[in-house]
Amino acid sequence: MEKKKIIPILMLGALVLGGCSTNQKSEKSDKAQVTDKDTFTYAINGDPTSLNPINVSDRWGLTVTNMIYSPLVRVEGDGTQKMELAEKLEPTDKGKALVVELKENVKWSDGQPFTADDVVFTYEQKVKKENGGADTLWIDDKPIKAEKLDEHTVKFNLPSANAAAINNIATETYIIPEHIFKKEGDFSGSELKGEPVGTGPYKLDKYQRGEYLQFSANETYYGNKATVPKVNLRIISSADTTKVALQKGEVDASYISPNNIKDLDGTKLDTYEYSENRVGYLGLNNNSEKLKDVKVRQAIFYALNKDDLNKAAYLSDKYYENAYSFLPPNNPFYSDKVEKYETDITKAKTLLGEADAKDLKLNLAFASDDPIQTLQATLMQQQLQQVGITVELAGGDGTAMFAELKKSDTTKYDLFIGGYIMGTDPDLYTSLFKSDGSANYFHYANKKVDDLFNQGAIELDEAKRHIIYENLQKELMDEAVIYPIVDSRKVLAVNNRIEGIKESGLVPIYTFEDLSKIKIK
Amino acid sequence: MVKYITRRILQVIPMLLIVSFIVFFMIHLAPYDAIDAITTPNMSQEAIDLLRQRYGLDQSFLVQYVLWLKNILSGDLGYSLVTQQSISSELLTRIPNTIKLILPAYLTALIIAVSLGLLAGANKGKVIDRLIDGICSIGISMPTFWFAMLMIYLFGYRLNLLPIIGMHTVGQEGSFIDFFKHFIMPYFVLVVAFFPDLTRYVRSSTFSQLSEDYVMVQQSFGASKKEIFMKHISKNVLLPIVTQIGLALPMLVTGAIITESIFGWPGIGPFLMTATKGLDYPVIMAVMLLSATLVILGNLLSDVLYTIIDPRINQRGTK
Repeated sequence: MEKKKIIPILMLGALVLGGCSTNQKSEKSDKAQVTDKDTFTYAINGDPTSLNPINVSDRWGLTVTNMIYSPLVRVEGDGTQKMELAEKLEPTDKGKALVVELKENVKWSDGQPFTADDVVFTYEQKVKKENGGADTLWIDDKPIKAEKLDEHTVKFNLPSANAAAINNIATETYIIPEHIFKKEGDFSGSELKGEPVGTGPYKLDKYQRGEYLQFSANETYYGNKATVPKVNLRIISSADTTKVALQKGEVDASYISPNNIKDLDGTKLDTYEYSENRVGYLGLNNNSEKLKDVKVRQAIFYALNKDDLNKAAYLSDKYYENAYSFLPPNNPFYSDKVEKYETDITKAKTLLGEADAKDLKLNLAFASDDPIQTLQATLMQQQLQQVGITVELAGGDGTAMFAELKKSDTTKYDLFIGGYIMGTDPDLYTSLFKSDGSANYFHYANKKVDDLFNQGAIELDEAKRHIIYENLQKELMDEAVIYPIVDSRKVLAVNNRIEGIKESGLVPIYTFEDLSKIKIK
Repeated sequence: MVKYITRRILQVIPMLLIVSFIVFFMIHLAPYDAIDAITTPNMSQEAIDLLRQRYGLDQSFLVQYVLWLKNILSGDLGYSLVTQQSISSELLTRIPNTIKLILPAYLTALIIAVSLGLLAGANKGKVIDRLIDGICSIGISMPTFWFAMLMIYLFGYRLNLLPIIGMHTVGQEGSFIDFFKHFIMPYFVLVVAFFPDLTRYVRSSTFSQLSEDYVMVQQSFGASKKEIFMKHISKNVLLPIVTQIGLALPMLVTGAIITESIFGWPGIGPFLMTATKGLDYPVIMAVMLLSATLVILGNLLSDVLYTIIDPRINQRGTK
């Protein structure tokens, strides 16, 4: 019996080997590449959650929205402003109002002219809390109001002076046409009934749920008309399939993880790395009795080795940058004049001794389906062992972990690994670190931090604002509640028949800032 | 007969209620809900509370269950909490896609299984039997996703014969040839996933038939092996296969979850996977209810088919 079973096993083995040994023939298979000259195909890993520009917040939803609609202004990663539908914006009334002049001769994709009414209409919908996208348009529980001055000028009235608001209201809000959506009734859903008519570089032709979204160039786009007539977003949930589809040329571009990059050597794929301004961190739960003493927290940080954690996870410094503050390194307010917690085992041990924390046992939560977090968690376990801290690994579902950490009195986890992409203005980070912040997973309360956040929000002088946030970063690092690990790069693999990827502007979330700039060779 | 079927169908109702309650309860045991799954740190607590309120997730477990049940009874499967798409319309587009893939694969597997099973049974202990048994062992122990990746790598990439993603090339929805090209690989993977179990089943029931008295009687009457197989054993072996077909009914919905996800086939698979990840309970409940109904109907179907083939069973069922 045993002997006979060998035959099919051998057959199978031959099949596997056959698959591997054809490596040299890869040039041969290239000839049948999908060579559609008109279409750029981008692989995404799931359906967009929302296609409603008023409340969209998921990655693919925003990617699609950014192709169809335009905001008034964009804030680039380095903090500079890029005008889109706005011609000019100026704060007035001592920071209590913002006047926006709109570009003239902009048309919607159905040919209707774009006017101030559309802007006012959009903001009137967006400011309604029940529509689910209002957070940045409320200051001290009072709404920001948009007012039409003339056909091409809109004034935003703020309840009180607020430096962050001036940035936030004009960005991230995609203007929708009043003539299409005025009869909509409900803007709280994830899809609107009206046609997706926009001012962006592309328009949506067809959406086949679970399969693809098909776009064609918008003839009336106010920027340069797109050179690639058609774009498909193809939905593939399996990362392995995506990789093969890329190698084969069935799709032109997709995100890949750094450990897959090597497999793409010798193929027709180029990789582009760019920062998403994401901060990957180790967080400390201040509800935990064991972590109440600041010396214990600092000891943990001194025991860790950031370089080792990152090298192990991201392989090459092409794909990451060490992070030292709660703000990502590219942020215009980023300061490295903070305690960096360079590895110092002796110091860590001394601090633990001073705090009288012997045989410290902590648990560490992380998302076990994330290979990078899993790797870093095991490394941290080893590193902390060196100073006598025993770490118990508590891997699990990421969503469940943060749902638990959100509870105000949670003590289930002592340490946790996470990451956030919050945007450019430092005021957007208040929800994480202010005592009453809605995403204060650290359960950290410090009046000094609260005060600094409050001052930063209302300070209109740019230079003074910088000083405030510098102090804030210093304070947070001294207090040792968050150990920023990394600004990890996204890696986009693109078929080399596609050109102009850099010109299209690789940005957080949307991937391509302006897809009209890509070309097909 | 009609009375029997009616009674069986009526028995289904309390059963579905219990199943739905258990599943609903289990979903609520999870440490987070659909709103947690779509929450980002940028969202204020107020916005999150509003969302939770809108979907009734702030209500107690029992109230939520009763509300859900009320909707179901009025024929409304509800909306996905995450995408807010109507679940029934999603199911109506996705189920046919799944059936298009599963039905041919299952029928092929059945034909292969009956032929191979009888062949193995007729040659008990011989090389051919061991070979078939060996192939089945490999088939059963081989993970579907791994085999699918192997196919994708070999036929999709290395040999570049077949497309690897989806059901159609974008823009060629009407083309049958295009569909067929996309169909071959997932179909083959499913055939390989389905046939080993069925083959083993046929093989072992052939064995048990061989040891029955009537075979010995036939042999002593001088009937040839071929005659015994064609006239008697194959009929008796096919009878239990009917049960298998009935039990396979729920597979039409949930039988290809992994394969569909790997090939990006727009069926129930990826839909259910995403919903489960996001704890989108109305979707999970709808698919579960559908599949539970099919399990019960499948059982009923196989019983009914049995009574048609062998009326003695009917008498037992209705006594």
